Amino acid sequence: MSSKAPLFTNTKCECGHQNPVGTVLCEACGKPLEEKEAESSENLEMRYDGVARRSQRVNPGIIDRVWNFFSSVKIAVYLIVLTLLGSMLGTILPQESTFLNIDASTYYKQEYGTAGDIYYKLGLSHTYESWWFVTLLVMIGASLVICSLDRVLPLYKALTRQKIRKHRQFLTRQKVVLVTEVQDDPETWVERVAGPLKKRGYRVKTDGGALLAEKHRFSRWGPYVIHIGLIIFLLAVLARGLPGLNMDQHLAFPQGEITQIPDTTFYLENKKFIVEFYTEEEMPEEFRGKKVLPKLYETQAVLYECTADCGDPSKKPQLNEVASHDIRVNSPLSYKGLKAYQFDYDLTPVLRSVQPELKDSRTGEVYGKFKLTMKNPERSFEAGPYTVTLKEKYMDFGLSDEGQPVSVSPYPNAPAFLFLITGPDLPAEGQQYFYFPKQVDKTKFQQTAINDKLGGGSRFLELEVGDMKDVDFSESTTYLNVRVDRAMPFIWVGAAIVMLGLVLGFYWQHRRVWLTVDDGVLTLGGHTNKNWFGFRREIVGVLGKVDMAVDEKTLDNGGGLA
Amino acid sequence: MSLLDFSSDIFIAAFFLYSGAFMLYTIAIMGRKWSGRKPEEHTARWGKIAFAASSIGLLCHLAYFITRWMGSGHIPVSNMYEFMTFLSMMVMVAFTVIFAIYRKIILGLFAVPISIILMAYAAVFPQEVQPLIPSLKSIYLNIHVTLAALGESFFAVGFAAGLMYLLRTVNFGSKDKNDRKQQRLVEFTLFSIIVILGFLVSVFAFRGAGYESVFVRPNVTIDSPGQENSTIEKVSYKMPPIVAPYDSEIESFQSFLGMDKPLFEAPSWMNGVNAGRKFNTVIWSLISGLLLYGLIRLIVRKPLGEAIHPVLDGIDADDLDEITYRAIAIGFPIFTLGALIFAMIWAQVAWGRFWGWDPKEVWALVTWLFYSAYLHLRLARGWQGRKSAWLAVLGFLVVMFTLVGVNLVIAGLHSYAGTD
Amino acid sequence: MGKARKPVQIIILFLIVLLGGYAIGSSVFGGDGKPKEGSTAPSFELLGLDGKSHTLDEYKGKAVVLNFWGSWCAPCVKEMPALQAQWEKWKDEGVVVVGVNVGEDQMTVENFVKLVDINFPIVMDPGRDAVRSYGISPMPTTFFINARGKVDSIHIGQLDLSTLDTQIGKLVKR
Repeated sequence: MSSKAPLFTNTKCECGHQNPVGTVLCEACGKPLEEKEAESSENLEMRYDGVARRSQRVNPGIIDRVWNFFSSVKIAVYLIVLTLLGSMLGTILPQESTFLNIDASTYYKQEYGTAGDIYYKLGLSHTYESWWFVTLLVMIGASLVICSLDRVLPLYKALTRQKIRKHRQFLTRQKVVLVTEVQDDPETWVERVAGPLKKRGYRVKTDGGALLAEKHRFSRWGPYVIHIGLIIFLLAVLARGLPGLNMDQHLAFPQGEITQIPDTTFYLENKKFIVEFYTEEEMPEEFRGKKVLPKLYETQAVLYECTADCGDPSKKPQLNEVASHDIRVNSPLSYKGLKAYQFDYDLTPVLRSVQPELKDSRTGEVYGKFKLTMKNPERSFEAGPYTVTLKEKYMDFGLSDEGQPVSVSPYPNAPAFLFLITGPDLPAEGQQYFYFPKQVDKTKFQQTAINDKLGGGSRFLELEVGDMKDVDFSESTTYLNVRVDRAMPFIWVGAAIVMLGLVLGFYWQHRRVWLTVDDGVLTLGGHTNKNWFGFRREIVGVLGKVDMAVDEKTLDNGGGLA
Repeated sequence: MSLLDFSSDIFIAAFFLYSGAFMLYTIAIMGRKWSGRKPEEHTARWGKIAFAASSIGLLCHLAYFITRWMGSGHIPVSNMYEFMTFLSMMVMVAFTVIFAIYRKIILGLFAVPISIILMAYAAVFPQEVQPLIPSLKSIYLNIHVTLAALGESFFAVGFAAGLMYLLRTVNFGSKDKNDRKQQRLVEFTLFSIIVILGFLVSVFAFRGAGYESVFVRPNVTIDSPGQENSTIEKVSYKMPPIVAPYDSEIESFQSFLGMDKPLFEAPSWMNGVNAGRKFNTVIWSLISGLLLYGLIRLIVRKPLGEAIHPVLDGIDADDLDEITYRAIAIGFPIFTLGALIFAMIWAQVAWGRFWGWDPKEVWALVTWLFYSAYLHLRLARGWQGRKSAWLAVLGFLVVMFTLVGVNLVIAGLHSYAGTD
Repeated sequence: MGKARKPVQIIILFLIVLLGGYAIGSSVFGGDGKPKEGSTAPSFELLGLDGKSHTLDEYKGKAVVLNFWGSWCAPCVKEMPALQAQWEKWKDEGVVVVGVNVGEDQMTVENFVKLVDINFPIVMDPGRDAVRSYGISPMPTTFFINARGKVDSIHIGQLDLSTLDTQIGKLVKR
């Protein structure tokens, strides 16, 4: 195929047809054109029916050279193999993209030692985003386009302009050949054999004592259909990177809260998160008491769209419910291309608000109750005759190196509040009171001792939560992946076309039979692009119908492979 | 008797039927020279019996599959045991399809053992029916896994036919440099298969003897606020520890042939808690493989390839070449659909990204690229015969690495629990 | 068809180079979408302590020192006096220091501002929108944005008075 054409070749066939440079078999009669080829008795090279690839020419320029590079199947195979090897390299250690939060420059060295460091420095920790890997993919794309274009047009021409009567050498050098004597008149015999061929689905054309029978030509387009599908697929992958077509966020949604999905006008409420595990009875005996298997993760979610006051941080957005769904692992919420997938969860409760009562510890009298939210609390509360003013708040109480009270994180793990209470029986400037809503923190940080110090021994006011229903907390947090991928339909279209091409190309075969009857001698040549075994069996069957007994093996003209 | 009990019983029946069928195929092929009948008649007659036996085996295997599905309430492809039993069933299906096309009795001699080995490998894993974890609860479990396995099974038949082609055509008598190279490569391929047998023999031998030694290793992890978390990791060896896990202590040691402590410790880069155990399994597989190989060599007194070569006498090499190609050509679209397209669809539904370069995904792609290269080389560059056969053999190695190797060596989203 | 061959080849090769260049370019330079030195600083709209919403655009023409901080982050607290000092030094020369509080509520921020006694503009990012668009992971992180709205340099970790001074000096010169 890739043998160099001599500088001056006579591309005119003896049948009078003028062939383009690079033609192996005459486009019209099928006679081998090169002299060396014409003298041989080997099987003919039938790939692309011996027509010239589009780009083969005598004096290639630079454009032609680039074009020819990508047009070569050899190069395509090299590209496939290089991509294959590159992909393998990327699986040796986990890729950076599998971690949510790492510093790659130190992580690989720390985790995998020197080998990991080398792996990172070679850029293999992000193999699939590296310039060389993407370049390989781009080159495969180029090869797909150019290879296909270069072959499909000439092949189309060759197959739509087939001559019925072919050169004798073309017939006897096929891989399926039969030369035998027939008694009948040529035209009668050809008419007789046409019947059984048609019955087997062949389209038959005759020309006196010559016949061409052909079926399943569409199978020849299979490879090109595959390539078109792959090109669409690759373009769709590329399109995913365009701004606005793709969004991917990993977000936390505390139970019972409406959380905005950043960069969108959507808000998602996690009404309830459920995690269930298989009971002992549902587990096989061997696992009971040893293993816990999760049964269900489900976020009961409601999606809202903001209708007004959306971008303005100083106003509260107005929300309108647009969708609701129980999100499970294989069942995402989906609304107009926006999808939310169950990803992870955290069962640590998060305190939202408490409603403590102001109580007189001497008499037990309750002066009043107020609601204290962890986030943006009100600053001043009335409880009976007393006014409680919030002075300081700490979300995660701790002491700094200088012994000052500070918050050690922005999360309400150990909230603490400093109030100033004014009212009857209290000093005119008021009394300070430190309040830890969580019982563990009360003991841990010694609330009573602190307040005794602040208010003195005669202190009589306490803040206490009377009832558990006065405590509001989010029981759990669910983590969802929120994604938009507008190029997905094209991905699926590409994949579907690839599948169509695969089925066309691999589950059907293009079969052709040429025959001529001259002077009582039948010359039959047959070609298929795969499954010679079945093809020979079919021809034996057809010939049997015209009372010609042939053994399958005698049809085999050597090399009847594939 | 419950459905699940019936299921495991009929699975064992399938195993023995396959083994019987394998012997019958052997008789059909080997016996033709000394049966007294005409060789073709002998092969055709015994071949029929053998095919009947393997087909009944396949029916039993199907019965196992259906009853286990009914008994467990979900398709039995959800863990390594179930997947491997399913894969072995699909290999038999692929074999039956190819057999129906080409009617080559000898194919049974090479394809049925693949299925038997896969069944035995399945038995290495825990066999209990496990309820499905949330991520597996999807219709795509049924489609993706089954189609991928079917496609891979055709590759397995391609491997069998490719190996047959090599055994048939390599010139075992020649001292020519190139022929010697081919002989060695074939011998190495056969040796690798024997190492797998060695692995199975050692697993079941030590399991039968109830062997166990336990190692412990303290594992200190430091949480972000400076809290030290100390956990003790335990590794249970089911084979005598030639190599201990890196940085570990013996908790209990059952002595074996006078060996009462490990011979050495795994190198530090094998720092995973199970890496040492896996390494130990590899060593044992090699030892038993070498012993088995040595034993066979002692009996046949020549290289294995040379010993098997005469079995394939009279088989048309071109037919074998076509069968290899045909099996792969049938399997390739199925593999593409099952292992790539439905994998992408499922990944999109479950995780919202159709492709994430997870090791298992990458290896499915590597397999696909490998067979695309095979098809291009064959169809467009005329790689037929020996080169093509070697690629078919190598391709199946890639398939097996994707299915088993990735789980053992690389951990990813796909890893089923309990790999050995 | 024969005559159109060359132009067709040229057009296809050109498209391949264009799309391929885009693919390779975006994989190499696109990265993770975080602003780097030299790239345009992402815009934001955040509520200020003064009760009004503020955007990056309103400081156009001025050099901006954008400091991401939290009251619970010790190095953030320690660098506040340096920021305040530089704010006072440079505010009349077209430099504005903006503190972006990350994830805390108004009261915490108000108390903190009073405690450390600073008076440069403070905006609040309770939803971590700016944190995301600026790709902040450890705190404090300070972005030095020049008058044309481009990121001049990024400093991760605590700032001291002299580095801050040289950085701002550079920013003003450009």
